Amino acid sequence: MTVTEDGIEMCSVRVGDTTFGVRITRILEILDKPATRPVPLAPPHIGGLVHYRGEILTAVSLRSVLGLPAHSHPPDMLVFEGRDGYFGLLVDAVGEVLTVSPSELEPSPSTLDDRKRALFADTCKLSNSLLVMLDPARFDPVLLSQAQLSQ
Amino acid sequence: MDDLIREFLIESHAGLDQMERCLTELEDRPADAELLANIFRSVHTIKGTTGFLGYARLESLSHAGENLLGLLRDGKLVANGEIISVLLDLQDGLRAILRSIETDDNEGQGSDEEIVERLVALAQIGAAPHTSSKSARILSEVEAISNRAPQPGAEAHSQGPPQPNVTDSTLRVDIGLLNRMMNLVGELVLTRNQILQANSTNAEFTPLARRLDMVTADLREAVMKARMQPVSHVFSKFPRLVRDLAQQLDKRVHLRMEGQETELDKSLLEAIKDPLTHSVRNAIDHGIEAPDLREASGKDAEGQLTLSSRQQGSHVIVEVTDDGGGIRVERIRDKAIERRLITPQKAAQLSDRELLQLIFLPGFSTAEKVTNVSGRGVGMDVVRTNVERIGGKVEIDSRPGAGTTLRLSIPLTLAIVPALIVRSRGQDFALPQTALVELVYLTPEEGKTQIEWLENAPLYRLRGRLLPLIFLSELLGLNRLFEQPQDGGHYIAVLNADGRRYGLVVDGLADPEEIVVKPLSAALKRIGLFSGATVMGNGEMALILDPGAIAGRVGIGLSPDDLVQPAAGESTALSESEFLLVKTGEDQQALPLNNVVRIERIPRTRIEWLEKMPVLRFGGTVLPLEDRSRLLDRAEPSDAEITIVVCRDGERHVGVTVSHVLDVASGAPLVDAGTRSLVPDVTLLKERVTGIVNLSRIPELPVPVEVGG
Repeated sequence: MTVTEDGIEMCSVRVGDTTFGVRITRILEILDKPATRPVPLAPPHIGGLVHYRGEILTAVSLRSVLGLPAHSHPPDMLVFEGRDGYFGLLVDAVGEVLTVSPSELEPSPSTLDDRKRALFADTCKLSNSLLVMLDPARFDPVLLSQAQLSQ
Repeated sequence: MDDLIREFLIESHAGLDQMERCLTELEDRPADAELLANIFRSVHTIKGTTGFLGYARLESLSHAGENLLGLLRDGKLVANGEIISVLLDLQDGLRAILRSIETDDNEGQGSDEEIVERLVALAQIGAAPHTSSKSARILSEVEAISNRAPQPGAEAHSQGPPQPNVTDSTLRVDIGLLNRMMNLVGELVLTRNQILQANSTNAEFTPLARRLDMVTADLREAVMKARMQPVSHVFSKFPRLVRDLAQQLDKRVHLRMEGQETELDKSLLEAIKDPLTHSVRNAIDHGIEAPDLREASGKDAEGQLTLSSRQQGSHVIVEVTDDGGGIRVERIRDKAIERRLITPQKAAQLSDRELLQLIFLPGFSTAEKVTNVSGRGVGMDVVRTNVERIGGKVEIDSRPGAGTTLRLSIPLTLAIVPALIVRSRGQDFALPQTALVELVYLTPEEGKTQIEWLENAPLYRLRGRLLPLIFLSELLGLNRLFEQPQDGGHYIAVLNADGRRYGLVVDGLADPEEIVVKPLSAALKRIGLFSGATVMGNGEMALILDPGAIAGRVGIGLSPDDLVQPAAGESTALSESEFLLVKTGEDQQALPLNNVVRIERIPRTRIEWLEKMPVLRFGGTVLPLEDRSRLLDRAEPSDAEITIVVCRDGERHVGVTVSHVLDVASGAPLVDAGTRSLVPDVTLLKERVTGIVNLSRIPELPVPVEVGG
């Protein structure tokens, strides 16, 4: 559906100064600054609970996963389907939808540190900048918690 | 898994369920043609489909069974105990293979030879030519056996032959889909609430919003109803279980089932299956005596076991009643003392009824010998834990020599739980009311003086007994995240979680709410202190605290003395005579503690008047106030506060104005000096004659009041 003749549609999201891309097909819904409820004693990468269509989702904060300091600006959220039902990914802002051709995607450079390489899927060469592609499956809270325990 | 195979498994299981029901009935009516036809059909269907799907083991087994069943159906053989047993085994064998297909996608490695041989051997008796004198003799023996010895069996339906399934008007729905529908309806309810609060200048808006309100309420009810199943789904397992157990233990038991049409939420039905099975095992193993013993004590040699269910308000009551030997209270008491579950002094104070409830304590089992049926030390406490986990209650009643009744009281639906919303550092949390015993308010000054510290452990003296305290803000590390509140007053929620008593200290309380429990993701379950989350009426989310897990985390133990509390607290005999002692003006009065819902301290300006009757409004609800000592008529500064005790009177809530709450105390009844009859509405409380506020005399609200929802 989204792999149109000339490429892949992706949604750009911003965290701090970095812009990331997420394939549109993977996104169930984008919520505009939903109310989040902090969870005491939760691992740091959990951004809180978000009420979504009658269910309560666990939201992962991309800021904390990337090790950026928390800030007070209310985040936007992308909803994905994970192993344990739906989950949310909190980002600073959701931007426009871009269309790129598959040939512009390359694996992330091996020079990135291990942690980031585990999180970043591909790198996309735009005409004037680089865009890091995010694979939602790698931000599943179940997976992140396991990774945290094994560290 | 293939859809075709999935469908086949579901249908086969349903067929075998029916076969099991019919087989146990066949015991009483061995020649019933309809029953035999039903059983034959179940096996025949399996055989037909397996050949098509290529399941060889299933096919050969069902083929052997079908042969025998065909003879039974055609009247060439009459069912007896042996035939029914082998057919039950056939059914078990088929089920085992089906399960293997379900889990491993193949038929498994087991051997069916033995059962096939038995089926074939029995079928040969019937298949032999009728002229053979030998087979005729055997046949007549078989008939004689079946006539002479009605097996200690059970009947599934108390009257009439089983009705064929009504498949035309029903539809199988995936439970996941129903759960999703339930969630969406919950969402719709919240959106509706927001719409009802919204303002619009459009004249049509209000009637439309009302309409939406009504449709939403109906839809919610319909979806809830879709999740309900009759308890017969669980009950239908018991005829077989009772038959097997009775044979194993050489007892004769007749099972009666009542109220099978009572409906219960699907998930709750699953949850009561184990406790109920355990209770039935107990009743047959420990309750009903051996036939000779029964006859010796003048009872029918066949014991009666009754399973009944009925709806009572928002609960379903399931009872397991036997007419066995009953429970000897002295034995319970001695055992509890021997196991140090209770002190002899304490035991002496308990009534027989309260002593009986001790069997629900962990580590209590009075079985004199361990049988492989029950009595392994995990006993009734497991039943209680399982039932309480779903918000239910268990009680036991027993008369020595006459029998025992175990009563499970199960809420109609699991999804909705009454909870108190507590606040700590500005964050709301839901506390299930099942664990809540009482609430204590401490002013900032009282907080400083009355919370005592032993090393690092905070304690509070609750009516002379030390209560360990847990500060919610510290437990959850909220102090680091959020500001300390200004006034510094504390509420202590006194909790009893599976016999562990402690006080949870919070900063504030909000109104109790019926909350819809939503599960937490695995990542958050791991924290271990929350049992779920909920969306409150105002649209905000709150985490649901798990009182048992909190006690475990902090290491609140079970002290022998504390253990008695839950049993005593639950029994109506004791708590009925407990009162809240209050001062109203110059008088002291007593309020039945069982009826007290909560105590509110509110500014006098919040009292409103409805046709000269004082009323109090909470959100969209209103309750009448009783102001017997005319506290409201007194001239007080306008910013003065007044204490309201909110009580339950039947279905309604009423408020009573009081000057202070003094204490909680047990009251003793008083009798009239002349007539020796009990004086109503008066009790002896702390050596003082005290009037009891009669809640039912508090007048109704004067006019029907619109209550928003």
